[in-house]
Amino acid sequence: MKFIKKIINFYFREYKVNLSGIFDILTNITFFFISIFIFIFSVGPEKETLSLLGVGILWTLLLLSSTLSLRKFYQDDFENGSLIVLHLNGFSFELISILKTISHFFFVQFPFMMSIPFASVLLDISLEKMYDLFLSFVIGSFILSCLGSISSSMNLLNKRNYLLGSVMVLVFSIPIIIFSVGLINIEDNFNSLINILIGLLLIIFAINPWASGACLKLAIQNN
Amino acid sequence: MLLAQNITLHRSGKEIFKDINISLGDGKIIILKGKNGSGKTSLLKTILNILEPSSGLIYWKGKLIYKNINDYYNNLTYIADKTTSLRQLTLYENIKIWRKIFLSNVSYDQIKNILSILKLDNYLNQKINTLSLGETKKFELLRLIIENKKFWVLDEPFTNLDFESIKIIEQTFLDHVNNNGFIIFSSHQKPDIKNVEEIILDKL
Repeated sequence: MKFIKKIINFYFREYKVNLSGIFDILTNITFFFISIFIFIFSVGPEKETLSLLGVGILWTLLLLSSTLSLRKFYQDDFENGSLIVLHLNGFSFELISILKTISHFFFVQFPFMMSIPFASVLLDISLEKMYDLFLSFVIGSFILSCLGSISSSMNLLNKRNYLLGSVMVLVFSIPIIIFSVGLINIEDNFNSLINILIGLLLIIFAINPWASGACLKLAIQNN
Repeated sequence: MLLAQNITLHRSGKEIFKDINISLGDGKIIILKGKNGSGKTSLLKTILNILEPSSGLIYWKGKLIYKNINDYYNNLTYIADKTTSLRQLTLYENIKIWRKIFLSNVSYDQIKNILSILKLDNYLNQKINTLSLGETKKFELLRLIIENKKFWVLDEPFTNLDFESIKIIEQTFLDHVNNNGFIIFSSHQKPDIKNVEEIILDKL
């Protein structure tokens, strides 16, 4: 009971931190929408072209926008010593990475999902496709949060090159983009592709705590 | 309660400290002294089980600390030389978060009393990033009271504090050891407290 209370209180802290950084989240969403407009201007306003490219564009932009928020994943808590204090209060590094990943999904990725209906209107994506897109976003963005956790914790060990983590996320997200976009555009294979996406999610969710936890531990030891 | 036997630490092939023995129990205070880079923070981190000693053993209540780690951490508060409070939030919001995270049973009235002793009560609704370094340090030390644990580990607790604040912290230390608590801290200055055991790392 005490442990569950601690976890709930951890999310209260995360909520407060993210609320105070609400402008960062809004900036990310603004980046997302402005990028959509840039794509529309660059490929032209023809409905057929937008409808054909729309899902791919949305997914690419989600990926780029979410990498913007990765630097803050662990950095602040690492630099001010909060990670050590949390660890000394019963949160193992593995647990911290799980809780932080879920927090990133809800507080950073979720606002993007809320913007899908507006983005779909801009790119002429049909209502039917939008439901599939939403589903692929839910699974895919959680995978991105897990990848973000691993790359951000690795970044703590590499103080010289912050972009390396973002590059890693982009490389590992290629299969996610392939299956997520395929899920919407290839209607016959919906069930098999959604199963592959869920499988990828489970694999990366299982790897994340061990990989991130080990990197956090090493980073604190080396600090 | 805490016993460290012949602990030695090497980092990147360099010996940081060698054969350190520490025995800490109810009512005892140990101060770690030494020049910059002499390994004070590393020794504290080794005691906290964050760094693994190259040789030597650390016991908590008669058991090796990694075998008794939950009980050890449940009895320990660590104040680092950094501020763990969230700088973009107010003092009140930080206190609220700390009380929740540490499942503290210290009441808001008690906390307000301490804040008024530390002369921080007027800043309750101000953000941490508007406070001076000394005020931020005093606020960080409030965590000792909120966490309400037996064993205090502090890294440079007197840095940036004025004379009056140092006296208040010294008195807090005394009250804590009189209530069977025990403390280990690193500092360049020796506090005005009797019977403080010194460990000097420069001699190594």
